Amino acid sequence: MNRKIAIVGYAQTHHEHDPPNTREGMVFEAAKGALDKAGITREAIDTVINVSSDYQDGRTISNLFLVMAEGAYLKDESKVEMDGAFGVLYAMMRILSGNHDTAMVVGVTQGSIFSPHQISFYTLDPTFDRQIGLLNDISAAAIQARMYKNKHDVSDEQIAMVSVKNLVNAASNPYAHRKIPDLNVKKVLGSKLYYDPIRELNISPISDGACAVVLASEEKAKEITDAPVWIKGVGSCQDSYLRDRNLLKLESLEIAAKKAYEMAGLKNPSKEFDVAEVTERFSHEELMIYEALGLCSEGRGKILIETGVTERKGQIPVNPSGGALGADPVLATGLVRIAEAAKQIRGEAGKYQIQGVRQALAHGQTGLCAQSNIVFILGGEE
Amino acid sequence: MEKREITQVSGMPIVAGFQWSVGKMMERFIKSFAERKILAAKCPKCGYTYVPPRLRCGKCYTKIEEENLVELSGKGTLIGYTTAYVQLDGKGNFLDLDKPKMVGAIKLEDSDSTIFMPLGEVDPKDVKEGIKVEAVWRKETKGEIADIVYFKPAR
Repeated sequence: MNRKIAIVGYAQTHHEHDPPNTREGMVFEAAKGALDKAGITREAIDTVINVSSDYQDGRTISNLFLVMAEGAYLKDESKVEMDGAFGVLYAMMRILSGNHDTAMVVGVTQGSIFSPHQISFYTLDPTFDRQIGLLNDISAAAIQARMYKNKHDVSDEQIAMVSVKNLVNAASNPYAHRKIPDLNVKKVLGSKLYYDPIRELNISPISDGACAVVLASEEKAKEITDAPVWIKGVGSCQDSYLRDRNLLKLESLEIAAKKAYEMAGLKNPSKEFDVAEVTERFSHEELMIYEALGLCSEGRGKILIETGVTERKGQIPVNPSGGALGADPVLATGLVRIAEAAKQIRGEAGKYQIQGVRQALAHGQTGLCAQSNIVFILGGEE
Repeated sequence: MEKREITQVSGMPIVAGFQWSVGKMMERFIKSFAERKILAAKCPKCGYTYVPPRLRCGKCYTKIEEENLVELSGKGTLIGYTTAYVQLDGKGNFLDLDKPKMVGAIKLEDSDSTIFMPLGEVDPKDVKEGIKVEAVWRKETKGEIADIVYFKPAR
């Protein structure tokens, strides 16, 4: 990168289903919180990236009524209608252009307004795949989960262990939505079956929430804070539409991760970052994510979950915050992962703080069966 | 927090009629269902075969002409599947199905794309990845997507 960029502030709302708050209220809370955290006011922000969805918000140009709530009026503002982590990439590009020194990314989704699963149906090819009726994000993920299980001999119990880890982790995260401190594998396997083998507790919850992240160039970051979190590497990659894709692995995530590792100069990635916050919309996905990130070889994700490697106390903690299974305010979810990774680096994660975090990985995704993926490597040292 | 009063706002959820032009390849694909034919587009350069057909190869960007359309056998291999216990009602609710339904990911013979189709005449217990399946057409085919009712295990 031709300029260094750091995260200097972040905030998120308490994710819930249908909380007594408005979309504008949540955006304000997150944006104001992130500015307060950075110790600056809206005047210090050069450009704002809004992350929201017309379909999800039930209105066209979903950002236009949010301009005041996010402090962007009479400022440079633009929108990303994908995961919030892609919004951070866009904000970085704006800073890298040299035209801006500071940027704020604000993501919001109120899943309670309209089901994200119904919206997933509208992402299907209307002239063919929509006609089948039974295809949506969950059934597509179920087909993928079964293929993955069969190929690598993964059991429902091993997949359920991901839900147990993340939902128990979520219990100590004050911002998480679905917290089940006493969850066990049996309870996961006893939850309502949607599309075999996917059950209710294998699916991320429908959450309402917002998250904001403030970015700054090197000079500005050092003016703003003594504890900047540097963006050391970023990589993104898209795969083809469902019909022309190998569903057995997350190839686009593998490529995105390689790009991020290369930019960050990581030679042995799994030993060089101390915690990962990933977007796992379904529990089997987290196992596939381990493999795509290179934490283990293909098909060995089950070993990591079984041996506790990705537990909070394990060698590579994954989703100590509870991940997307703990709260999924759809477009804000990847942004939350970045904020959580930054928190770990700054030692601000409270009850779920991992000791001695120097570098962290954050992952966001968009699309059926994780079609688009983006990976960030963050670090506390320059 | 007390239960909030709900005021209905007009225009929500959005009711909009969309008219898509499917393009000449897709039009032929759908119309040929009347003759119980499944057409695919074979890229003249790299050979990747798309079903439904496309006008340009997404892998190597070569233009695919109508003469590159090939007729498939209607048989294929089941590469993945799920049993559905719920169905979206179009308003965002998952309704329980009286009887579970199956959806298969199918690779048709001589094609590279995966199509996602209902499975019928089959017990979920007997379904396995790798089994051969074939299209079941409705009695009177009209050149519509609905002409293929489902896929069943090939005899």
